[in-house]
Amino acid sequence: MGSKTATSLTPESTADDKSITSRTSTLLRLVALTPKLFEDYALLTWLVGVVAVLSLLPLARLVAEGIAPGGTLSTDAIARVLASPTTWTATGHSLLTAFGGTLLAVLVGTAVALCVGLTDIRGRNAVVFCFVMPLLIAPQVVALAWLQSFGPSSPLLKMLGAAPAMGSRNPLYSAGGIILVLGVQYAPLVFLTLRAALRTLPQELIEAALAGGAPPRRVLRTIVLPLMTPPLLAGIALSFVSCLGNFGIPALLGIPGNYVVLPTLIYQRLAGLGPGVLSEVAVLSMLIGAIAVLGIVAQESMLRRRDFRISAATIAARPFELRRLRLPTEVALWTLIGIVLVLPLCALVLTSLVPAVGVSLSAATATLDNFRFVLFDHAAARRAFVNSFGLSATAAVVIVAFAIPLAYFLVWRRSRLLRAVNLVTEIPYAVPGVVLAIAAILLFLKPLPLVGVTLYNTVWIILFCYLARFLVLGLRPVVAGYHQLDRTLEEASQIAGARLPRRLRTVIVPLVAPTAAAGALLIFLTAFNELTLSALLWSSGSETLGVVFFSFQQGGDSTYAAALGVLTVIVSVALMLSTLLVAKRLPPGVLPWRD
Amino acid sequence: MARLTIDHLVKRYGEFRALDDVSLTVDDGEFVAILGPSGCGKTTLLRQIAGFDKPDAGSVRIGDAVVSTPGQHVPPERRRIGIVFQSYALWPHMTVAENVGYGLDVAGVKDPERRQRVNAALALVELEGFADRRPALLSGGQRQRVALARCLVTEPSLVLLDEPLANLDVHLRAAMEREFARFHERTGTTMVYITHDQAEAMALADRIAVMDRGRILQLATPSVLYREPADDTVARFIGEGMVVPVAGVARDGDATCTADVFGHRVRMRCDAGARIGGEAHACLRDNALRVVNGATPGVRATITSIVYQGGRFRLDAAPERAPGVPLHFGVAEPCSLRPGDSVTLAIDDGWVLPGWVTRASGR
Amino acid sequence: MGSVSRRAFMSALALAAMAAAGPAPAQDVKGKLVLYTSQPERDAAQTVAAFRKAHPGVDVEVFRSGTTEVMGKLAAEFAGGQPKPDVLLIADAASMEALKNDGRLQPYPEAKVDGLAPGSFDPGKTYFGSKLITTGIAVNTAAKSRPASWADLAKPEYKGQIAMPSPLYSGAAAIMLGTMTTRPDLGWSFFEKLKADDAVAVRGNGAVLTAVASGEKAYGVLVDFMAFNAKAKGSPIDFVFPAEGLPAVTEPVAMLKTAQNPAAARAFVDFILSDEGQKLASSMGYIPARASVGMPSWYPAGAKINLMPTDIAKVVQSNSDNLKRFAELFGK
Repeated sequence: MGSKTATSLTPESTADDKSITSRTSTLLRLVALTPKLFEDYALLTWLVGVVAVLSLLPLARLVAEGIAPGGTLSTDAIARVLASPTTWTATGHSLLTAFGGTLLAVLVGTAVALCVGLTDIRGRNAVVFCFVMPLLIAPQVVALAWLQSFGPSSPLLKMLGAAPAMGSRNPLYSAGGIILVLGVQYAPLVFLTLRAALRTLPQELIEAALAGGAPPRRVLRTIVLPLMTPPLLAGIALSFVSCLGNFGIPALLGIPGNYVVLPTLIYQRLAGLGPGVLSEVAVLSMLIGAIAVLGIVAQESMLRRRDFRISAATIAARPFELRRLRLPTEVALWTLIGIVLVLPLCALVLTSLVPAVGVSLSAATATLDNFRFVLFDHAAARRAFVNSFGLSATAAVVIVAFAIPLAYFLVWRRSRLLRAVNLVTEIPYAVPGVVLAIAAILLFLKPLPLVGVTLYNTVWIILFCYLARFLVLGLRPVVAGYHQLDRTLEEASQIAGARLPRRLRTVIVPLVAPTAAAGALLIFLTAFNELTLSALLWSSGSETLGVVFFSFQQGGDSTYAAALGVLTVIVSVALMLSTLLVAKRLPPGVLPWRD
Repeated sequence: MARLTIDHLVKRYGEFRALDDVSLTVDDGEFVAILGPSGCGKTTLLRQIAGFDKPDAGSVRIGDAVVSTPGQHVPPERRRIGIVFQSYALWPHMTVAENVGYGLDVAGVKDPERRQRVNAALALVELEGFADRRPALLSGGQRQRVALARCLVTEPSLVLLDEPLANLDVHLRAAMEREFARFHERTGTTMVYITHDQAEAMALADRIAVMDRGRILQLATPSVLYREPADDTVARFIGEGMVVPVAGVARDGDATCTADVFGHRVRMRCDAGARIGGEAHACLRDNALRVVNGATPGVRATITSIVYQGGRFRLDAAPERAPGVPLHFGVAEPCSLRPGDSVTLAIDDGWVLPGWVTRASGR
Repeated sequence: MGSVSRRAFMSALALAAMAAAGPAPAQDVKGKLVLYTSQPERDAAQTVAAFRKAHPGVDVEVFRSGTTEVMGKLAAEFAGGQPKPDVLLIADAASMEALKNDGRLQPYPEAKVDGLAPGSFDPGKTYFGSKLITTGIAVNTAAKSRPASWADLAKPEYKGQIAMPSPLYSGAAAIMLGTMTTRPDLGWSFFEKLKADDAVAVRGNGAVLTAVASGEKAYGVLVDFMAFNAKAKGSPIDFVFPAEGLPAVTEPVAMLKTAQNPAAARAFVDFILSDEGQKLASSMGYIPARASVGMPSWYPAGAKINLMPTDIAKVVQSNSDNLKRFAELFGK
């Protein structure tokens, strides 16, 4: 490999040609004897193995619990669960809220992504920054803030004089309320997936259509959106599965009216005592997993039929001038941000500044005691910041580093095995966190077979669950990024002699870097606040922010919880802003809030 | 430099045969064009040669080494060939110099030799001074040349070109054709050139393989293809030949014969060894048709369209005997004919297409 | 010196040494103690700190979460075959009863149960209530009227203003449901009236506190300590002791049969039931199981709170039926 022939490009060296030809042919003959694609297959096997361990193993253990509790095969649990009408009611509710939430998330997320990516609105980077921030606030907090804003004690409504009378039913305690909050919660997910992809849209494609006389709406419908199909579908799939597996929002808004969805039903079963509780939980989880997989299969089949490649070497497009519509659009965007970010943030801050719940905030009652307690008196909270940051950052980096070669094989080396791998990665994200935690406990309770090390009750079991759960958050955007790549770019580097590792490093990674970064960000923000997994898996010293928040909330210490929430937001914002310092060294498009 | 041997190559996609028993040999240093309409399989063939796909049957050899069979496959990165892609496939995140020098980086060539070779390659394609530009800021022609430079810098034994001029405008095309020709002359690299444009193929290639529906219809020099096409498809594809039915074919010499074209007896060329007689198809070239005055014997036809082509006119005509078989020919300026006029055409030359079963002999 | 005087000297020396060493230390309990508890965060921390002060040789590892999470984790560990905790301290006697029925708990016959409220510990000495947590009516100070009894709460004038913890998601609320539905003066008709009043069943007592304190709902069914702790910090909330009485849950402590450190486990149970441990509970705002150590500061002086008796075994038996009926009643 790499033998330097002495041939120059002038005909004078014809005398040497014959010997060089024979040298080359000998080399080729030797090379032809090498077993085919050895290194590629090795990498693929390793990748598939890791996915199997992360995604399949915990769930296989759980399924085993569902069909063979205590080691004896039995279909009792399955029969009980499937025969109960509550199961099907919950399934129907889950589907309804998942579809509704996804629809709303997609509409809002796409609209904002298009405005930010394709028009000439001002303050674009600030809009992106603020629109992404709600991911930092725990879903329960968002739901609570909205609940209070629509209730009789809402300061906003009181100001408007439209506060409902004490005792009227809060409209958010309904399927509609759940859909609304779910949609708002996950719109940034769709937004992030689309934003990275919109950068690759070549200006000329849109300008050609505009020059041809097509009105902007038509261009959007017939050119932009079809080209953005892979990331759009990725966003849809992600938000569908997120809505399906979300526990916090239907817990807050659905429990009061007994509007049960599958995650809350699982929680009910866990709370209800009685024998065989784990196997019923396992069966219900399999149900959620099946629904998630069906959704992904549907998405896959839509992606497969068409070609979405963009051979782009052009500058990103910003072709739509809004003119008269610019100010109204900016106002609309900032109003939206006001609702989804400012509202819950204000509620959080207000609560964190009062000494106890229900005390109205005034100059006399305002206090920083809650912050003092959380920062100085509560060692667990400090540890939680360090733990959560370490776990989230590690998970983000490891998953994305793993997703890039995995996506390479998934998109460009199709096979049935790989399709199955693709589907399997969805499941740990779709099932409620408490289920994955239980599966991890079952798996890692005893020391690992060969190594003899126990992961249980350490921070490593939490990391394992994060890797398993959030793999799909990193994988989907990267897969969408590959779908938009022109494969000849890789083929050209193959022809130049580069083997797979070098091709990944020098050609592919720079090109998928924006979408990979979107995935990493998504993972970090989601994991930072994550609650349901660590609630079961943490132990002294390995607290996460979610755990501390949850225990404050449950114990009636909402003010401490609020202070913790505010501190979380401040720290995350500081982190996000600090990325701007290194922004120059990153490839373009990696940071969504920087052009 | 290497010889390329393709031996009974078959590639199937489900029921569809993209390559149907294709065999081809390109000698050391030869320039072969693979010519055919869209969907004929030429890109599939190129991908087989490059190693991006594996065959279902047959083999590909570069030099003496077998690189592709159903059971054995040398990956593209080890074949030491070069490709110029239709879309150029320049890496947008690298400068021109980084694009061109990529293959050298892979081979471990370091500065100053690396920089020297990159600059030499850029000089070869007349892009010195462009080393630090990004592909996004180059024109189509410049990108084309960067792609060529990138291909050349590693001095491959075989260069494949996938419709490289398809995205360029007409003026640029002519210049690039000269560029490729000059390059081939200077280096003697074996080149395989994929195209659907027969003028390009005729101008550049030593031999041309005409492909249609996964098969090679004829492999010959441009002149032979032009003068002696093997069948209807080749005849129509090259030089826009006209295929007309002829009757009463009778040999009247070693390589000549006479035949009835629309009722007019014409002397044509024919294959020396073939059995001919009775009905057949013949290929007429537009420069073999001539307008004569009405008294001279010839084929009567009605003009259907006249198109000015700068100094000359192209006329399309429908023979009275067979209006469904269009003829076309050229007339120098000035031309007083109008559509609808009736003319008599003399046919000076034609070629009887071989491979026609003679009904008379009933074989 | 004579042998007698030497003996006397030695015993005097020994006595002096013992006196110098201070009050006799508890048996030198060492090692690791694993505690799973559903107490609120701060209370758990205080309990553990106090225990460690009494037994400095013990390293306590605590897992604290909601009762459902703790029971879920425990169930997984049982299924996995390697349960970790030595002691449990959870707010749900029904779950303890279920564990006892499963044979998971280690009886501790020597536990000092003198002075403990009757019925607060298992006759078989497998689990012992550490405190009494009563559930009463929480009222926002801005509310127009104050109910004096449970029956009052069911009146139509309180329509749409009541929050209660959902028994479907809270073991303590399930016990409350089981207790109240067996009473002739309340029974299921009480809950039916609550439903007619559009009472909202939220997830857990924390949510009830938030709802009432923030003014979202004027009235709530809430545990005593939460209401009083919030009131002490300034929340606009009051607690009413309903006339019929208050259902109470104990927060039992128990040892697991599979405890790795049974000595430390016993020491922990002893600590919880000791006067010191009981005083600690009182200082944290709970009614102690041993009334003699003194009531928490919010307890109305001299009064005697009317507690509803609970037959825990019966509650456990009828639990799934109760939950089903509740779900149907309050569901869509």
